[in-house]
Amino acid sequence: MNGPFADYKWVALAHDWAVFGEGFANTVLVSFFALVLALALGVLFGVLGSSKLKSFQVITRVYVESIQNTPLVIQVFFLYHGLPHLGVMLPIFAVGVLGVGIYHGAYISEAVRAGIQAVPRGQLEAAYSQGFSFWSAMRHIILPQAKRMALPPMTNQAVSLIKNTSVLAMVAGGELMYQADSWSSTNLYYGPAYVATGVLYIILCLPLATYARKLEQKAEVNA
Amino acid sequence: MKRFSAFLLCIVMIVGLMVVGCGSNKPAQSAQGDVAADMKAIKDRGVLKVGVKVDVPKFGFKDPQTNKIDGLEIDIARAVAKKILGDSAKLDVQGVTAKTRGPLLDNGEIDLVIATFTITDERKQSYNFSEPYFKDGVAMMVKKSSGIQSVKDMNGKKIGVAQSATSRKALQEEADKAGVKVQFLEFGTYPEIKTALDSGRADVFSVDGSILAGYLDDSTTILNDRFAPQEYGVASKKSNTALAKTVDEVIAEMKKNGELDKLIQKWGIK
Repeated sequence: MNGPFADYKWVALAHDWAVFGEGFANTVLVSFFALVLALALGVLFGVLGSSKLKSFQVITRVYVESIQNTPLVIQVFFLYHGLPHLGVMLPIFAVGVLGVGIYHGAYISEAVRAGIQAVPRGQLEAAYSQGFSFWSAMRHIILPQAKRMALPPMTNQAVSLIKNTSVLAMVAGGELMYQADSWSSTNLYYGPAYVATGVLYIILCLPLATYARKLEQKAEVNA
Repeated sequence: MKRFSAFLLCIVMIVGLMVVGCGSNKPAQSAQGDVAADMKAIKDRGVLKVGVKVDVPKFGFKDPQTNKIDGLEIDIARAVAKKILGDSAKLDVQGVTAKTRGPLLDNGEIDLVIATFTITDERKQSYNFSEPYFKDGVAMMVKKSSGIQSVKDMNGKKIGVAQSATSRKALQEEADKAGVKVQFLEFGTYPEIKTALDSGRADVFSVDGSILAGYLDDSTTILNDRFAPQEYGVASKKSNTALAKTVDEVIAEMKKNGELDKLIQKWGIK
């Protein structure tokens, strides 16, 4: 029998599993480093955004609004096709980490800011009165409390981040989606290719999403 | 445990989806028994739906000024429409890409694909192909400033190719022969490859020669080498055998009476 899911197409998929394995590994690597970057940017700009200094707030707004209000595809296209014209040729791996990391950093910074603002103002003032500097008060007093609020939305961002690495398929990124496109467009066995790819993304994302839900439930109980 | 059962549920859903996908394919298969069910469907509809390229000048190209799609492959589609429906205007063309042309055929959204679709043995398993209406070799475009003259100069270079194109395989073989290592970057559309060539992401832009000619500009040049002649065929869904036979007849007839050569000349292809 023939059709998009014909048996021999699955056999071909099993035979070429290494193609998908390579893509999967690249997706995991890009996701990991992009997540580290996103967390770093998120915490930094989350703290800056909740500070009283006007200039810090402006910088944060510019970052968050310019990133949140343009599509990720445009940002990645700019990094990949635009920067070389300005003399900056980033390797594709860096394009992935920077593109996706900066994008989700903006969202995480909003989650962090919300978490910080949920901590009563008096906590910071009390810390100051005990001789803490702004940054050490943040580190030891405010952020640990903000974490409880911010962690569930941040984990959801991590899930989105993994899925969004798939935009790299448009710029020959070598990750899972690209490999699936590449493999299936040559032999046109798109049925098994995209089902298998979907399952692989589920394997990556479902544990994280489940973890996020657990955190949310825990946060509700504690609140 | 909960997580595991959730995962199991997902797998069951996906398998279910596939069974549905297969099931919906069956009626089309049994329709094969009824001599020209596929032809009847087109006649009842009164219009032939054809997927064509919109980004390949001279073959299938959407003129940005007039918004009309025209080219050699649209003319072939007109000939098929004339044969089946008696009127070359009873034609509905829509743009397809390398990625969409297979699924669109399978789900019946279009009857035929005439879109620089290279015939390969692997693809013949999934679709019917007519006899070839055009033959072309894989060619390479480079920046004039790159100094690349042939495959021998391409050691360590990045070659931009189109997804679903057979040029990657052909070029890999050439590179192996010349003993050079090359890297491939696959893109979804031709303009994207040209963008990558312009930005320096790719050193070489390699697709079928006739397609490449449409992207030539002052800063680029097309190398003289041609590899692995590619044969373009008209594709139809595997179960639509009567339609495939009719299309084959049209192409054979056009070849015989010189109509095809005339069209190729009309469009100034080589």
